Amino acid sequence: MNIPTSPINETRSKAALFDKHPHIWRAREKPVSENKFLLGARVLDEALHGGIATSGVVRIASLTGIGEITLFKQVLTTHRAHKLRVFIKPPAQLQAPWLSNLGVDLEQVIVVLPKTDQEALWAAEQCLKSAACHCVLLWNNTMEAKAARRLQVAASHNDTLCLLFTSPHHQGASFPITLDLTLHIRDAKLVVNIIKQRHGWPVSDIVIPHSWTPNNHAIQAAMQNNKKTEPALHSVI
Amino acid sequence: MLWAYFYCYQLTLDAYKKDDGFTDCETPAVVYHEQGNQVVQANSQAIKEGVECGQGLAQAAALCPHVHILAFNREAEKETLLFLAHRIYPLASDIVIDSHNAIAIRLDNLLQYYGGLDALWHVLINELHSAGIHFYFSTAWGVEAARLLAHNKTNSYTDNKESITLLLSRCKLEQTSLDSKTIATLAKVGVRQVGQLLKLPIHELGQRFSNDTIRYLTALRGETFPKYVLFRPSISFQQTKTLSFEVENTQHLLPSIKTLLVTLEHYLRARNLLTSSIFFQVHFREEEPLSIEVNGAMPFATQKDWLALVELKVETLLLPEPAVAISLTCQQFEPIKNDGNDLFSHRFTTVAQKQLIGKLKAKLGDDSTLHPKAGNSHAFEGMTVNQVEETTPAYTADMAPAFLFLQPMPLNLATRICFGPIRLQTQWWSGTASKKDYFIAETSHGVRLLVFKDAKACWWTQGVYS
Repeated sequence: MNIPTSPINETRSKAALFDKHPHIWRAREKPVSENKFLLGARVLDEALHGGIATSGVVRIASLTGIGEITLFKQVLTTHRAHKLRVFIKPPAQLQAPWLSNLGVDLEQVIVVLPKTDQEALWAAEQCLKSAACHCVLLWNNTMEAKAARRLQVAASHNDTLCLLFTSPHHQGASFPITLDLTLHIRDAKLVVNIIKQRHGWPVSDIVIPHSWTPNNHAIQAAMQNNKKTEPALHSVI
Repeated sequence: MLWAYFYCYQLTLDAYKKDDGFTDCETPAVVYHEQGNQVVQANSQAIKEGVECGQGLAQAAALCPHVHILAFNREAEKETLLFLAHRIYPLASDIVIDSHNAIAIRLDNLLQYYGGLDALWHVLINELHSAGIHFYFSTAWGVEAARLLAHNKTNSYTDNKESITLLLSRCKLEQTSLDSKTIATLAKVGVRQVGQLLKLPIHELGQRFSNDTIRYLTALRGETFPKYVLFRPSISFQQTKTLSFEVENTQHLLPSIKTLLVTLEHYLRARNLLTSSIFFQVHFREEEPLSIEVNGAMPFATQKDWLALVELKVETLLLPEPAVAISLTCQQFEPIKNDGNDLFSHRFTTVAQKQLIGKLKAKLGDDSTLHPKAGNSHAFEGMTVNQVEETTPAYTADMAPAFLFLQPMPLNLATRICFGPIRLQTQWWSGTASKKDYFIAETSHGVRLLVFKDAKACWWTQGVYS
């Protein structure tokens, strides 16, 4: 027997369906407690509700050389130590001493140098699906939404993190990924903009102190102190 | 002694059929012997069309215009037979390769292990059938007698001496290995069947016929046992396959590669071995053979694992001209280690890592996947090496950049120095002496670069800090 359903009932039942859907986040809800990796910068971690997700694709749009990898130092070094960190198509030759200084175990690092962006995407997908990787770092400026979706699915199904580095000029369309960030340097501090995050609002202008190279502060400080102090004992008056 | 003799009368056809995977009833096919100008093997479809062995090519073609003709090659048949012997070797120890199309197996010393002739026989027959070989068979007390019975298409096995004698006596003299002159001489005195010949006293025959004839007859009677060279399996695996057509597209190589890998799998599994490196050669008519080496990151045996890697390797392959044959060689084997540490989850990761690296290398090339290691140098150029070199002291520096450019580039940006200088003066013992003052410089966008000033006070940028 067919009971004719009124249009109002139908919309209500659909709404109820959406209400229960676990993948739809509503702004009135509190952030879902997911597994997260802390980045180590308090302000940023708060804005991200406890760090970056342990799986999925994170897009970082920044210039190369502003400490964009160093920002993820804690993620790269402290978690899932027995799994690989794969660098796919890095902008230049990756240096082992730098990795050691960062605290990454060199045994767990592989560098993949594909000839084309297409091959790079293939390699990234294979790495994400292999269940052997902790994190895949991919440099790509020609990514499309479909490819990003593929990587997102591969990463989230296999509990792997994918850091996608793009140049700030190529950050065009919004991608179906976990987290979208832009980075730049202002007054020797790192400014992070959260363009998009799952289960949360975008946040802009998060300023965090950032130090990713050795500097001359020690010498400068010594010079400053030297000026203030009395003439040294051994100097001839 | 009890010997089984398998006369494989259509090895070329069997090998051909196995490659292309089509069934016997689809295309009529014959094997043509050029020197003799005769058809030597014909499949059931060709026989149905009226083609018979012994006919000339013209007659065969007239009877069946769309017949597929294969060239007879004694060496190729011998190779198929050797592969068959490799397959049987784990089951039977004493194997004799007889000519290019027959195999003899000694049974009496195996009966005890298998618990009777029936059990043993079925094991052997199953193996031969699964190899897809057609054959006539028989058993007798010696290779000579068994050969005669098999050529006579006896197709029965027995260890009963009386029945073997009976079967032997019915055979015609033409089917024996006696030369035609002897047969003609015997026919003149009315001896046409083996039975009649065997009844004659041997010393009477000895006065009239050569030693070879007498030797053959005593072997046939089971009174003497001529020595045979037993088959010994080779240490390494090597197989060549002639392609059934000239292949231009690398994708069409894959079915042939798969059959080769299947034979390799059989070979390895029978010996409880694994291999981590296989070697293909693609042969052409004119060009030098093309070599493809496929390395697995860990040892495998199964065809499936290898095929996945080979497919990736073959995808990027370019053939200079159509291929005519392909060979597979495998020389390094590893025993299967059963150390039973399956319970550790890390092991899974290790396996997955090895599989991943194997996959990446197969698709993108061997030099595409690198393991950066600290190198034996204080200069930034030599701090990272991608080959694993043991026992070299490795240096690191706080100042090492994340990425190093292949070549230093002239610094043409406005920058601010934030660290340095560090002077590296090196190679004074050789001609390429260099003196560089290194700094870390920051551009207006906040990008930090590794820059240096050379002896001529020119500024260069060499790396970047990420």
